[in-house]
Amino acid sequence: MSQERQTDAAPALFLAEGELAALVDELAAADVEVIGIVEAAAASPAAAAADVLHGRPALEYRVLPPGVTPLLGPGMPRLSLKGFFLPQTEALFGWRQHGADVGIERSAAATRPRVALGVKPCDAAALEIVDHVMNWDYADDPWNERRAATTVFSLACPVEDSSCFCAAVGLAPDTARGADGLLTPVTGGWVVEPTTEKGAAFVAAHAERFGPAAPALVAEGAERRRTAAERVRANLEIDADSVRDWIAGHFDDPELAALGVRCHGCGACAFVCPTCHCFDIVDETEGVGRGTRRRLWDTCQTGKFTVHASGHNPRDDQNARFRQRVNHKFSIYPLRFGEVLCTGCGRCSRECHAGQDLVEILGAIDVAARRPEAAVAAADGGEA
Amino acid sequence: MTEPHDLTTEAPEATTGAPGAAREAAPDRYPETGAPDETGDLHGVARHVLAKGEADVVIGWEEGRRGVRPAFVTTPDDVERLVFDTRCVHNLATYLNPRRRQVAALGRPAVVIKGCDAKAVAGLLREAQLSRDQVVLIGVRCGGVLEVAELDEPADLTPETVSPRCYRCDNREPHLVDYLVGDPQAEPPRPPKTVDERVAELEDAPVAERWHFWVEEFSRCVRCYACREVCPLCICERCVADKSVPQWIDAASHPRGNLSWNLTRALHLAGRCVECGECERACPSGLPLMLLNRKLAQAVRQRFDYVAGDDPEVPAPVGDYRLDDAEEFIR
Repeated sequence: MSQERQTDAAPALFLAEGELAALVDELAAADVEVIGIVEAAAASPAAAAADVLHGRPALEYRVLPPGVTPLLGPGMPRLSLKGFFLPQTEALFGWRQHGADVGIERSAAATRPRVALGVKPCDAAALEIVDHVMNWDYADDPWNERRAATTVFSLACPVEDSSCFCAAVGLAPDTARGADGLLTPVTGGWVVEPTTEKGAAFVAAHAERFGPAAPALVAEGAERRRTAAERVRANLEIDADSVRDWIAGHFDDPELAALGVRCHGCGACAFVCPTCHCFDIVDETEGVGRGTRRRLWDTCQTGKFTVHASGHNPRDDQNARFRQRVNHKFSIYPLRFGEVLCTGCGRCSRECHAGQDLVEILGAIDVAARRPEAAVAAADGGEA
Repeated sequence: MTEPHDLTTEAPEATTGAPGAAREAAPDRYPETGAPDETGDLHGVARHVLAKGEADVVIGWEEGRRGVRPAFVTTPDDVERLVFDTRCVHNLATYLNPRRRQVAALGRPAVVIKGCDAKAVAGLLREAQLSRDQVVLIGVRCGGVLEVAELDEPADLTPETVSPRCYRCDNREPHLVDYLVGDPQAEPPRPPKTVDERVAELEDAPVAERWHFWVEEFSRCVRCYACREVCPLCICERCVADKSVPQWIDAASHPRGNLSWNLTRALHLAGRCVECGECERACPSGLPLMLLNRKLAQAVRQRFDYVAGDDPEVPAPVGDYRLDDAEEFIR
């Protein structure tokens, strides 16, 4: 998919390692916020020990403080880029009431111009996938305003580990979906390919930092991207259409209904997921007669998500809740919007405390969907 | 009750358990083996309890695609899946919470527990969440675990990789068990900084600095409540954080809401927390929650002479009533 969007109209550019700091400084001087990957600021002793065992430090996306350049290399931040577009908590509006006199004050979501440099391709692609639902039954202004204010450059990914599976969900480690351009690490810097007008405008505005990319470097980048794509395909291959149809026709399948035994229902998978976008809305009073309406991330993995006022809960245990997670991502969303709600970043598997593993689960569903009787059931549109 | 550890002082020199010594010293009352024709190992015991119908499911650990993870074994033929090594950090007692309906649906459980996990089982028994005859407890002798389970191979424990909570563990051989398996283990290494040392370091800082530390840490909390969900002792039918009439704790993850949630969680576990560290390990934001848990454990030890152990008959301060209570209002 990414390949379709790559335009070869503009020749590739080159950003030398030495120019990165100058580019970031230039952006700061122009009052542009720069978002990038840095080593995680603080870590619990548990996280520190994990870093030692995994042989790498934990990373996170941050608005870069002055003088800090983003890491443009391998490594996956624990949380996705999502929070910069759908913050964990944001004020929607403030209200005041004095007798019959009620006032509403909107909270501005709009940010100053931002550039995200070196985003994981799976995180950028998620933005475009979530755009569907954010502009479906209503236009989500805060989301759209942040999208409009942000220029995103993805960084071609070397494939982090065996939990990466972007290729299985129709993406690639070098996709520029959701981004305005792609950076590819090569000797001495990065090959830069803007893929949208916004991306081209960004490059033009900082023309002095970019030079032409030598054909040898372009070839080096292409080779890296090719081997990465090959590597990620080896992690998982599924037929996403068959998976979608099989899930739709097998709601009560014993295997699909028993996926949540070890799941704690902690929702960490949803919170680290670049595509999970459910939110809750709360009114928080501040003293008497005034307050703020906020929205915050929510997750279908908790019982509270579906419990009725009567106390009845249609998703009464973790099996039902985990099935919902799989169903929403790989059947409900593609049936409605034409693509799966997953970019294969693998964070849910990496972060799961209990070892729930979407790679394994999707593989198993794919096998089930390939059984002859599954094809028959899907064709009938009926239950197995 | 055994002599409680003084949580605030330096450790005595570790008693190095020569292999065999601990086995001889081990009390006789737990059968080493499930049946005369079975070996006294994890697989043998698991096979025995399933074959004899003592349990419908054995909850243990297995090799997954990403290291070790909880396993639910329901047939004797399947017990070879079970493993126990330094990656088996999860506290599986969490699955005994009666609110885990999908686990309860599997039938009567047998659960594999380390010494620290046994304390959590004791907590559930103490608080009437479980009765002893509803569960088969398979204890494993433990020489400490790592901080992560997601490794392809078990790693040796080093000061940098050992879970800090394992240092000076007072329960490396669980007592609250029906079966006990595994060889006696050596004492785990001392981490570069013990949890007590970290707490003391923080306590030495001025109030403003401490405040800043926690504000910074809590600012990264995303309010997923993973800490609560993995906790074996977070057993409320409805958590105070989920109550909205009134909204006791702001659900939003601004500083007020995050402080409110994290302190409430810690306080509610004071005298109940068994310091298994699952909350800290599950936290996707890496918050050092054990510092709070440990500080409160120290306070409970000092004020109430209580350390959460694996004897369910010893009442916890929050569940106990004494005529000689120091506080007048409660008498």
